[in-house]
Amino acid sequence: MKPDWRVVAAIAMVAVLVVATVVYLVLTQDHEKKTLRLATTTSTYDSGLLSYILPDFEEKYNCKVDVIAVGSGQALEMGKNGDVDVLLVHSPASEIKFVIDGYGEGRTLVMYNNFVIAGPSGDGAGTNSSRNATQAFTKIHDNGTTGNTKFISRGDNSGTNTKELSLWTSAGFNASQFSNSWYLSAGQGMGAVLDMCEQMNAYTLSDDATYYQRVSVNLIPHLNITYQGDPGLFNQYSVIPINATKWTHVNHTLAIDFKGWITSTGGQDLIASYVKYGHQLFFPNAPRNIPATMSSGIELHPGMPIGTVICNSASAGRIGPIAFVDVSKM
Amino acid sequence: MTESIRLDSVTKRYNDVTAVRDVSLSASKGEVLGILGPSGAGKSTLLRLMDLLEAPDSGSIVMNGKPVDAGTKQAADLRRNIGMVLQKPIALNRSVTNNLAYALRIRGWDESDIIDRVRAEMERFGLVDRRHKNARTLSGGEMQRLCFARVMIHSPDILLLDEFAANLDPANVALLEERVRQYAAEDCRRSIVLVTHNLFQAKRMCDRIALMWGGEIVEVAPKKKFFENPDDERTGAFVKGELVY
Amino acid sequence: MVTLLSLYVSGIATILGSAIGIPLGALIGLKEFGGKGAVKTVTYTLYGFPPVLSGLLIYYLFSRSGPLGSFGILFTPTAMILAETLLVIPLVTGVTITSVMEVDRSVKDTVRALGATSRQTTLTIMREAWVGLVMACMIGFGRVIAEVGAAYLVGGNIEGKTRVLTTAIMLETRMGNFGWAIALGAVLLSVAMAVFFFLRLLQEKEML
Repeated sequence: MKPDWRVVAAIAMVAVLVVATVVYLVLTQDHEKKTLRLATTTSTYDSGLLSYILPDFEEKYNCKVDVIAVGSGQALEMGKNGDVDVLLVHSPASEIKFVIDGYGEGRTLVMYNNFVIAGPSGDGAGTNSSRNATQAFTKIHDNGTTGNTKFISRGDNSGTNTKELSLWTSAGFNASQFSNSWYLSAGQGMGAVLDMCEQMNAYTLSDDATYYQRVSVNLIPHLNITYQGDPGLFNQYSVIPINATKWTHVNHTLAIDFKGWITSTGGQDLIASYVKYGHQLFFPNAPRNIPATMSSGIELHPGMPIGTVICNSASAGRIGPIAFVDVSKM
Repeated sequence: MTESIRLDSVTKRYNDVTAVRDVSLSASKGEVLGILGPSGAGKSTLLRLMDLLEAPDSGSIVMNGKPVDAGTKQAADLRRNIGMVLQKPIALNRSVTNNLAYALRIRGWDESDIIDRVRAEMERFGLVDRRHKNARTLSGGEMQRLCFARVMIHSPDILLLDEFAANLDPANVALLEERVRQYAAEDCRRSIVLVTHNLFQAKRMCDRIALMWGGEIVEVAPKKKFFENPDDERTGAFVKGELVY
Repeated sequence: MVTLLSLYVSGIATILGSAIGIPLGALIGLKEFGGKGAVKTVTYTLYGFPPVLSGLLIYYLFSRSGPLGSFGILFTPTAMILAETLLVIPLVTGVTITSVMEVDRSVKDTVRALGATSRQTTLTIMREAWVGLVMACMIGFGRVIAEVGAAYLVGGNIEGKTRVLTTAIMLETRMGNFGWAIALGAVLLSVAMAVFFFLRLLQEKEML
């Protein structure tokens, strides 16, 4: 029988696939390294911070960090299900509930970045002259209901979304009753929402990192930061190891190591040194780093109710976010 | 047992059409039985029943003295000893050689035996030049020769031929008719049932002839009687080409 | 690396899905049974099964809090393969059904008349339907090499571990690097083209 070269070619293709599989499997062997599964948010990951700081951790502890970047809501859900070892998220209210409900072992502050209000460069709603973020939002609402402007929300349970909704509440509104003639719930990531604002001349609440990133690739030439600076616009990040009693398989040791490292002087300095788009994006504020003179004399002891103000960082001209006592550190 | 296959009062309906109605017919060993009749008379259906491809709605089929139910394993085994050639030949999408070898492969023959046997049949039917070609590239005549070879290669005792010459040129018809004659002569246990609407072919080849019309067997008679002195007037009319249908 | 993983995940999923779908399709197409019409309709309906739903299903099955969590395959390529296999199966089954049904009825009779058992008949018909069967695999592969919802959900887009071409495109798009995203898209299409080229050769080879 004459050899049919087409059959030979097909067999060769299958052989290549098999060889590629074997090569791939060999190359991705973890070489006995332990793995830490970290769930974080897309905005955190996209800022590039983790790619910058994690190699230090991986080297110090001889491990590999698998980063899974999803929305805050999804990250917390994954934590509840025990599918990851540790969380790095920025959704304080949800995080507190998460820890209270027993899914996480304490919540430790790590760093913050800033939310800003981004809007059309003309700032038709006049947010720039607001006293605070709440007033800026009120102005947006008033201009929206008269058809003068629009607002686009993340609408996806992310940290940004949660902050946005709390601002509407503090301004005395119920966002779920807003008309979609001016208030649009996009259900997308921050970058996509900024792109939409560019196209639709709308306002939104954004983290500054994503804003600067969009500017750097020239995707939002008609948007500006129309309001910023209100301490109420802090975006607080915390690290939460997953409850190891509930999920015995989680890499608990590494998770605690991670928490220790990211709040250590070394880790915190690394965070502060991360500059992108000409700006420092993240400001470390783990409890250890708060200067002793700032502790305002409140005594700390175990069993203190959650919600106590323990620091007052006047150095940056801002009131620090409400900090929660990390009982496991005491 | 001189009968290789017998149908007793067999009826077959398809939806509202009765294709075969109360037919009793038998084929004896060593004979060539012809079935004549106009198109649509039910001849093909009759052959399908004989090949145990389908079961009759009523009546019974007896092979070698034992009753048979189509669709059973018994029928499948018996079918291995029956060969059928259709009017429109259809080959499998593979080479001529592999088409011929198919019947032997499914019977589990040794590959070396298959090679010899296939070679022999190809020579007998003049297909040697085409042996490596895909069977679907054959001409009409070659295709029918292939179908014959394919069937005869496993030497069935019963051979059913359904208007095999209908689409062929005279040279091929002559070759195949001669081959059928040889086949019958090779082994006196073989029966051949030949469906045709060609009177001359029937005269050339058959020992006994049955006339089928409207799903029924009108008459069965030895060749001489069928043509010269039939019992039924319809037979006479048919033979004279006067049967109006 | 990302490309290799894409090929690996989608390739294995196609092979597994075809191994299940082709026999299943042949069975449904060739056998007469009550409710056959309903089964065919359901199969074709599943062509529209949203990939992300398949991902959700696998996620909930293999999450640590789910029934099969102890296998720990979430966020590994294995989970991605499972999710994609689920998508391949209805497609391959449906196309196989159509292909075997299109094989000339006379082939079945001829083969039975030659003495084939029902198993031999089925295999022969499948071989006659070769062109359609390869098409089934092609369609299955096309569906999964391009899908992103399930891959993202059960894989997690972990760099170096579960990042494939499609999830990488999502990432680059999300970060606003549209140029990169399009470049990756071009790579995906090239890879797909190479695979389909070989499959086409297989499909059109002269049957002997």
